[in-house]
Amino acid sequence: MDNLALLMEGFTNALTLQNLLFALIGVLLGTAVGVLPGIGPAMTVALLLPLTYALDVTGSLIMFAGIYYGGMYGGSTTSILLNTPGESSSVVTALEGNKMAKAGRGAQALATAAIGSFVAGTIATGALVFVAPFIVSIAISLGAPSYFAMMVFAFIAVSTVLGSSRIRGLAALFIGLTIGLVGMDPTTGQPRLTFGQPLLSGGIDVVVIAVALFAVGEALWIAAHLRQGKQATIPVGVPWMGKDDWKRSWKPWLRGTVIGFPFGAIPAGGAEIPTFLSYVTEKKLSKHPEEFGHGAIEGVAGPEAANNASAAGTLVPLLTLGLPTTATAAVMIAAFNQYGIHPGPLLFKTEPVLVWTLIASLFIGNTLLLALNLPLAPFWAKLLRIPRPYLYAGILFFATLGAYAAGMQSFNIVILLLIGALGYMARRYGFPVLPIIVGAILGPEMERQLRRSLQISSGDPAALVSEPLAIVLYAVIAVFLVVPPLLKAVRRRTRDASRRG
Amino acid sequence: MTTPSSRGGPGLLHGRSELGVAALLGALAVIVAVDTANIRQTAVNSGVMGPQVVPAIIATGLALCAIALAISVLRGGHADPEEGEDIDLSIPAHWPTVFGLAGLILGYALVLDPLGYVVASSILFYGSALLLGSRRFVWALLIGVALSVATFYGFVLGLGIPLPAGLLTGIL
Repeated sequence: MDNLALLMEGFTNALTLQNLLFALIGVLLGTAVGVLPGIGPAMTVALLLPLTYALDVTGSLIMFAGIYYGGMYGGSTTSILLNTPGESSSVVTALEGNKMAKAGRGAQALATAAIGSFVAGTIATGALVFVAPFIVSIAISLGAPSYFAMMVFAFIAVSTVLGSSRIRGLAALFIGLTIGLVGMDPTTGQPRLTFGQPLLSGGIDVVVIAVALFAVGEALWIAAHLRQGKQATIPVGVPWMGKDDWKRSWKPWLRGTVIGFPFGAIPAGGAEIPTFLSYVTEKKLSKHPEEFGHGAIEGVAGPEAANNASAAGTLVPLLTLGLPTTATAAVMIAAFNQYGIHPGPLLFKTEPVLVWTLIASLFIGNTLLLALNLPLAPFWAKLLRIPRPYLYAGILFFATLGAYAAGMQSFNIVILLLIGALGYMARRYGFPVLPIIVGAILGPEMERQLRRSLQISSGDPAALVSEPLAIVLYAVIAVFLVVPPLLKAVRRRTRDASRRG
Repeated sequence: MTTPSSRGGPGLLHGRSELGVAALLGALAVIVAVDTANIRQTAVNSGVMGPQVVPAIIATGLALCAIALAISVLRGGHADPEEGEDIDLSIPAHWPTVFGLAGLILGYALVLDPLGYVVASSILFYGSALLLGSRRFVWALLIGVALSVATFYGFVLGLGIPLPAGLLTGIL
């Protein structure tokens, strides 16, 4: 009941006229930028970050909530109307959604995506209200060894479980950790990797890293392989659904929510797995399995709900443990740090008003999104036709602005270009980008926890396994690392055996 | 875009540009290791765990990744390049565009303060749009200037964040 009282207080804070205006601007901008082709939610949040610099903490977090959900909704609009999405979590939506649009049912596809996102987002944010304080109550009793283990776990999860290549994932992680190393060592004040450059002694601003990897790297990569000629976009009217569509959508929405939230909430999240699971589930349960692959509405409703629910789920480890597990969450932690806010269990104790206002504004943003996007959909669809030279020139324009504004230093733009080149390389060779940013953000924090663990035990490394959670996590990591190669070996062996036999 | 051929081809290095990435990882490992070795051991950091330990672990990790990646690439391993709405992987990388854009960004960093935000950003937008294939020479320039002026005033007046006025000090 305590939670609800705090949440109500959050609503009172968020529901002022000024804050509602911030939420509205956030939702509009987030959707507008998110709809643009080639721009995923992470890039949307990174590019719009400078806009929140001048606001106070509460105002900017509220705007952020709007940008976050708006960016995601924008992405699904793009994948339905344009196909071949850039964001891996929208791949499944495009599968059926684009087929529906081609068959003249774009309005229904957009409607089930929008309403499904609203339903899932609302339920999942509700779950967040109850789950987060529970996790905080456990997390508050955990010591440095457990935190260190959790960070190692998050590192291994984002670099070896999600990507397609483990070597490339780990390499990306170590590159990120190296970037995080730059600057003054917080404990002793010794400069590391600063090469005598005073501008580097404060470390590289996380905003610059995020904008470089997601905006500059992406823009350069697209520039190298820019598709010639116009892509066919499908014009749509105002989204609506018939009685039959409602009947076929509401169960997938709920199932998608149930599948999505837990996957987002464990610190090995990401929306790829839950959206795919939801798709497969709907295909199995559907009364119209023959429609799958030709535009089945269940195949849009379920995965879209799963996507949104998992996005709300990722806020659980982000807010309670300070662990970002998706690209968007990583950029959000950068935004928090701008204000000197460090997400973690203490945040709920030290800044309860702030946390609960943020959660309340998630509900508000989600509702505004539904109210705005149904009537505005035809307008968003027009944004898809923006000429590509202007689009990508605009991305570079705003990326450089964001990097410059992060410290009012033109030096930041040089760093932006260097890390952007790294982002280009990652895309060219299929290296995942997520481990780079997570490594850069969590690296310094991991070092702090490691030092603290050893400080307490005066150097005895056995301290690292002195807490039960740490032991469990290391065991899970061992399973992660050992089982897949083992399975591969076994499979190869049986295949060889069957060939011989 | 060449994918590594599994047959090896005429030269061992043919189609294996990813070895360059392995070399980069190796170079990073060396840089981190040298930098770490140069951290002065002072009374302040003689605590339980000094500032060298984590960089040393990272340098080792980078080196191991470099070796593992090189071996994997030589064996013909590769991952798929990223796809997207506007990406056509069937055409080879167009380097003049990529380097042109990189040059523009670098130039932007150099002239931003002397020329001021509006002039520098207009050039950045106009140059990028032309490099990316826009042939509407007047329109692109107008959009660039309008965007720069609007952003300048938006930041200075709307958000209270001062951007450099440069050449146009006193005019804007």
